[in-house]
Amino acid sequence: MIWAFLFAFCSTVGFSILFHVPKKHLASAGFVGALGWLTYTYFIISGSGNILACFAGSCVVAIISDVFSRAFKDAATIFVIPGILPLVPGAGMYYTMLAILEGNVEKMASTGTETILMAGSIAVALLVIASVTKLLTLLGRKLLTYF
Amino acid sequence: MINQMQKKILILALHAGELMMKSGAESYRVEDTITRICKACKIPYVEVFATPTGIFLSLDEGSPDSDMHTFIKRIKGSSIDLDKISRINHFSREFTSTDLSIDAGLSILKEISNSKPYPLLLRILGAALVSSFFALIFQGTFKDFFCAFFAGSCSYGLSVLLDKIETNLFIRGFCCCAVATLIALGLFSIGLGVNLNSVIIGSIMIFLPGVALTNAVRDTLAGDMVSGSSKGIEAVIIAVSIASGVGVAIKLWTLMGGAF
Repeated sequence: MIWAFLFAFCSTVGFSILFHVPKKHLASAGFVGALGWLTYTYFIISGSGNILACFAGSCVVAIISDVFSRAFKDAATIFVIPGILPLVPGAGMYYTMLAILEGNVEKMASTGTETILMAGSIAVALLVIASVTKLLTLLGRKLLTYF
Repeated sequence: MINQMQKKILILALHAGELMMKSGAESYRVEDTITRICKACKIPYVEVFATPTGIFLSLDEGSPDSDMHTFIKRIKGSSIDLDKISRINHFSREFTSTDLSIDAGLSILKEISNSKPYPLLLRILGAALVSSFFALIFQGTFKDFFCAFFAGSCSYGLSVLLDKIETNLFIRGFCCCAVATLIALGLFSIGLGVNLNSVIIGSIMIFLPGVALTNAVRDTLAGDMVSGSSKGIEAVIIAVSIASGVGVAIKLWTLMGGAF
């Protein structure tokens, strides 16, 4: 697990360099990505499927990015974009392509569907977290004015 | 007669919006920034419509005899640069909260637009980091680490080169992934790699459409259907180009008699 965290940290920092994340945020962007990946591997180890694990990982990425964006007073995009990338199903895409080359239609359909669903689960996770945080901040503001 | 002041505000706001859009910001953020800048210049009527390929902006001073001005800015090409987004975000906050003059604002924007990404060597190192550590994540060995390091840096170098001659995004994804796969296959055949799949997965990770995917969702969520669907299509095209690049490279390799 520690190795997974470290590897994911390094690769997310790599992505951050490609996307020109400001220098002071490089480490925190890496941390977001690593934490997302750690959640993903934890869910995989504890026996849930790829799609649920991907969903959970993306949720964690979205939440931590939101916290960081408030803490550092910067756009959440800076943390979300590099953080989400380890979870994007590159491996699934590759295995789907291999199945196509082998002419194995059954395998192609199953891995292809899983890949699409994984990408979808990332999207849904971001959507859910964004709506929930929006709701919570609205609620918080209402409560503040109420008291 | 066009009001000089109003024209300058238009240029400032559109320039900021264009820079953000090119650097990969979401549409609602661009619209929000443009509106805030215009409102800070005491223009009561502002209407913006931002899409990934163009920004439309209308301004009116609100008095009965004033003209309404509409500008269209076509946006071509994009390169993800999160630093620019962050800096323009700060700039728009500063511009609205302090009484910065429009000329000063324009010069700050010019400075931001001229800011360079990280030096090329560092970016290649970044790409190499991505691919090599991903190879390790996907059960690669220490040998695969170095193969992926090499394949990732070469394919990223190629993508920079292809960007210079302004190829479209499908060709870029296709060529880069094909080259990465061929390098991985080559290294594998001379006995350097152990787990071929992990090397290839690691090196295609660099080109995955993660940015397009996340922005597509965020735009759709914010109600910008045009931007959301166009970014979604971008993500699909990139994914298809990567998959076909890998596929063609492997097929070519086996046709030429290479072992797979």
